[in-house]
Amino acid sequence: MPLSREAVVEGLQRIVGPEDVITDEHILVQSSVDNFRKLQNIFDVHTMPVPAAIVMARSTAKVAEILRFADENGVNVIPRTGATATEGGLESAVADSVIIDGSPMNQIVSIDAYNMQATCQCGAPLQALEDRVREQGLTTGHSPQSKPVAHMGGLVATRSIGQFSTLYGGIEDMVVGLEAVFPGGQVTRIKNVPRRAAGPDIRHVVIGNEGALCFITEVTVKLFPYFPENNTFLGWTLKDMKTGFEALRAVMVSGFKPSVARVYDPGDAGIHFSHFAAEDDCVLLFMAEGPAGIARATAEGIATVVAGFPECKPVEAAYIETWFNDLCWDASKIVAEDERIRQTRNVNRTTEISADWGSINDIYQAAKARIIAEIPDITMMGGHSSHSYINGANMYFNYFFNVVDVGPEQETDKYYLPIIGIICEETLKRGGSIVHHHGIGKARTPWVKDEYGSSYYILETLKHAFDPNGIMNVGTIIPK
Amino acid sequence: MSSLRILVSFKVTPDYEALREADWLAGAAVGTAEGAAQGVETRYVRRILNCFDESALEIALRLSEARAERGAATGLGALSVGGRETEPYLKTLLALGYDRAARGEAEAALDFAPAVVAALIAEYVRQVDHSDLLLLGCRGGPGDSGTVPFMVAEALGWPCLTQVIEVEPLPDDRVRVACMADDGLLRATLRLPCVLAVGNAVVSQLRVPTLTDRLARRDRRIDIVSGADLGVDIAGELRREPCVLVGLEAIDRARRGVIIGGETPREKARVLFDSHLKSVIEKL
Repeated sequence: MPLSREAVVEGLQRIVGPEDVITDEHILVQSSVDNFRKLQNIFDVHTMPVPAAIVMARSTAKVAEILRFADENGVNVIPRTGATATEGGLESAVADSVIIDGSPMNQIVSIDAYNMQATCQCGAPLQALEDRVREQGLTTGHSPQSKPVAHMGGLVATRSIGQFSTLYGGIEDMVVGLEAVFPGGQVTRIKNVPRRAAGPDIRHVVIGNEGALCFITEVTVKLFPYFPENNTFLGWTLKDMKTGFEALRAVMVSGFKPSVARVYDPGDAGIHFSHFAAEDDCVLLFMAEGPAGIARATAEGIATVVAGFPECKPVEAAYIETWFNDLCWDASKIVAEDERIRQTRNVNRTTEISADWGSINDIYQAAKARIIAEIPDITMMGGHSSHSYINGANMYFNYFFNVVDVGPEQETDKYYLPIIGIICEETLKRGGSIVHHHGIGKARTPWVKDEYGSSYYILETLKHAFDPNGIMNVGTIIPK
Repeated sequence: MSSLRILVSFKVTPDYEALREADWLAGAAVGTAEGAAQGVETRYVRRILNCFDESALEIALRLSEARAERGAATGLGALSVGGRETEPYLKTLLALGYDRAARGEAEAALDFAPAVVAALIAEYVRQVDHSDLLLLGCRGGPGDSGTVPFMVAEALGWPCLTQVIEVEPLPDDRVRVACMADDGLLRATLRLPCVLAVGNAVVSQLRVPTLTDRLARRDRRIDIVSGADLGVDIAGELRREPCVLVGLEAIDRARRGVIIGGETPREKARVLFDSHLKSVIEKL
């Protein structure tokens, strides 16, 4: 017999005290969705089950007690910290869910400049950590566009990646150890070591679990020396994405390690670069960083490689540098974007995938053509590749559409999900991955079995083993 | 209602928000041979639609739609004085249903030359467009004095209302206008022709055309008109009224702050009220 809504709230209040259990109806309704159904909050039209409460977690011990209570009583919990998720991972899929909010656990526990690692609680904002380590001439190397608003726990839980990933890697390359609480209240700590071969790398059970297996309470990440004075920007315009991908590949396979390696298609370039690029131009850009000699050699090497593509016309570095300095979105940009949507009903969405060099351009071309042909009311269909690897790259589809003839709450069904469907189909058809860095959330679960293939067995077994009662973020990663 | 010709004059500006303080200071520090500051380098930041003009452009579309519902025809035109960076915006407006788009070609930067800009707009209205109603933003960015609407109105001999926030059509080709005034909201009914300078309007965002709209109207032409075409001697005007940037100073935006202590939100709220808000409220 499931607990009543009131009994859930009472149980939580007994654990953390009434001050830390939020039951304000307006806040609960707004918390029933994340950015996947952001129009529901913008237009205040809601369709998802309303959570029973948001419980503010202030310690690992309290998280353990909350999870024990939830497990014993079959209460679905949704872990969150900065609440910037984009794929429905923070939606309440079932009635009377409990959101465990780790944002009060916001302490930077230690910055160890000798061992080049920093430990912080799950609710520590990445921006705060980055600002602190920069005071010591260091960097986390992690700079997602959400840096001003995202918190460390969520960044690890969603397997995030930053703008400098081509040099520093994704969050999975940065996390050296962590603490997490599993259903039933089991607290686990994975120690901080440079590397070990003691069986499977169990960090990866936690990193990217999207709150479907455990609640991350603390993380330790690597630190790197920071040499902003050596940052070198390079940019070119060119006429087609195929050449752009070829140029990215050529740089990567030549052994260079830029921190940023991107190519924008004409639609996306029109948003960012119309002050120097023509309407039909793609834009290829790089950033080299590190110690002076390395940054210089990297920039020179990239320039030499790209010179092998005569179609690429160089642009002044100041264009790229100025643009890059204004790329992160903060709270004021989010508010402005919400107002734009409210007035125009023109919505900007993104979907990111990855594939090997042999497939990535085909996926881009095929998905773009199908979306323009099959989806109504598109106002811009484009994208860019922002993360390159030795064997392939990502494609970040960026698209806008007008919401016409339906209520804002139907935007996902009429436009967003069908577009995601096309992108996932075209990606899976060519052996790519349907998710590069946003997570599966709930939005992409219809394609998760095809994404995993026979390895879905491992994912499903993990879920059953660590969350046998199915209380962790129902409907996230594993379809409901 | 008879057919009405509306013209919206808009400006494409650098996105000043994307400039860092260092960019502003660098612009202020570098002196030229004449002793003037170099001016802030803005070519590296993207261009955006001036926010007040964006309101004016959307207001004109809504006005046209409202008139269409009453069976009245409206011709919508857009004019921008500037370089080629204005053309993507003009194409967007054609895709949105504007039936005339023109670029006023200027061979020199006109950031500090409101009289020249006003002369170009007024002569375009008088000689080429023959508009009944001119809408434009009340000002256009840090380099703008906010005098262009008045100068255009004076040149045309039309009345001008400023800080306009709403415009509605009336059955007899007049318009009802709401403007922000010093002591409240002013509502006025205007006979045309007139100039309306749009301020902080409720409508601040221009709608977006679909790819299909763009495709359907991609062959529509942007007219290019020069100062010579309109009989405006731009170079001569600039020589007569030269504008020199003497310097720039950073505005000190630092504010004192206090971090309020307390164990609970209730306790913090109490401290906030007792030590900061109470005295302010008592003075009211």
